[in-house]
Amino acid sequence: MKIPSDLAHTIVDSKAYAAGDPVDDAFRTIRAEMPLAVAEPEGVEPFWVVSRHADIMAVEKQPEIFHNGDKSTFMTLKESDGMVRFITGGEPNLIRSLVSVDGQEHKDLRAVVFPSVTPKAIRGLEDDIRTIAKSFVAEMLAKAPECDFATDVAFLYPLRVIMTVLGVPQEDEPFMLKLTQELFSSADPELNRDRKEVNPAEALDGLRRTMEDLEAYFGAVTEKFRANPTDQVNSLIANAKINGEYLNHRQLMGYYIIAATAGHDTTSNTTAGAMWALAERPHLLEQIKADPSKVNAFVEESIRWVVPVKHFMRSATLDTELAGQQIKAGDWLMLAYQSANRDEAVFDDPYNYRLDREPNRQIAFGYGAHVCLGQHLARMEMRILWEELLPHLKSIELAGEPKRTISNFVCGPKHVPIRFTLN
Amino acid sequence: MAEPFKRYRCSYCGQEYDEAEGWPDDGIAPGTRWADVPDDWYCPTCGAEKADFEMIEIG
Repeated sequence: MKIPSDLAHTIVDSKAYAAGDPVDDAFRTIRAEMPLAVAEPEGVEPFWVVSRHADIMAVEKQPEIFHNGDKSTFMTLKESDGMVRFITGGEPNLIRSLVSVDGQEHKDLRAVVFPSVTPKAIRGLEDDIRTIAKSFVAEMLAKAPECDFATDVAFLYPLRVIMTVLGVPQEDEPFMLKLTQELFSSADPELNRDRKEVNPAEALDGLRRTMEDLEAYFGAVTEKFRANPTDQVNSLIANAKINGEYLNHRQLMGYYIIAATAGHDTTSNTTAGAMWALAERPHLLEQIKADPSKVNAFVEESIRWVVPVKHFMRSATLDTELAGQQIKAGDWLMLAYQSANRDEAVFDDPYNYRLDREPNRQIAFGYGAHVCLGQHLARMEMRILWEELLPHLKSIELAGEPKRTISNFVCGPKHVPIRFTLN
Repeated sequence: MAEPFKRYRCSYCGQEYDEAEGWPDDGIAPGTRWADVPDDWYCPTCGAEKADFEMIEIG
């Protein structure tokens, strides 16, 4: 069965993601009527849409059958795919990072940072992160009665946390934020490289220039940390060796870039979306203040709700069967996390924001071998922010219309204007 | 008769621990019961702690 063209268009349309409801509506229909079917939006190679929670788990538990790096790891136009392969000398991804490699290379690269981000390891960061959270809370409270929570807090706090963990000086944070937004928001004229509407070729050229800036910056980072190693993550990357050799240029750059971009943008989106939810649902603030232990459930539901990574793509390495469908070697598949996190088979009342989902089986961090490396850090830093902020607040309401980034990949709210009162 | 081996799954990433196989890479021999896995052992895929594993129902 083929997904009707209007639905296929919606689930790749950056403007539909910015609007929100059209994407949820499309996936609701797809889950109910064609949960694993082929979409062929204009200009895009056909791909299977894996819309159900259980099917995404099945794919992610078989990384040897469903590869990340043989084709583009995120949905891309045929036109852009050709240009990327030209730029990279044949690779399907502009950035060779953890999310776009497979097998032993993936295991080896993951092992470089893994020991630093286990729950046990990050416990040692809690006090430092709380200090950072307190400073952003103080700044926000000083802005009372209104602020744009996205730009004033949600973009900046996770940025400070990850840059501290990586070993990036505070004065470089605005530069890193700008490049991150350019990288993930190439379709959004407010945030992309050229700050204007761009066609696919222009968007890719903007990404290429952003990449050049990132590579220039991180080239110096390698020199710095090889000369003076520390226990910070960028130093681990700079000094890592696989089979006695330093990481090659693309591995190094890919690692720095994924850590410095995905390491905060996803958490920023989730944090901004959580505040949007709070502002529209006064009972949530009451519930958490009455029982502060609910902050963990609040964080988990925020992640389910926002789904900051909308999809990743996989490609089959051999003919196989998935959920009763015959998948051919080379077929491309979209793991639709936004759909899976609304899957009625897993979540009661999936379109409501609830703190009583126990356990909350949200799958926004992925599953299996490629599960998000920073998931425990992300949860911890969000918990700490809410623990520090919410006790100060008496009420929160929207002070204008929130806006989402125009993007179909890593995205979420870019403006969340709120009005708040203090205790 | 010995109790059948059980399997446990990490609730954060789906990594499974099978008592029959143990986890030799971390020095946990095949046949090691879940109760005998050290409390400070953590998920080799995502780092979650032993307490974050759930027993998988068989059958």
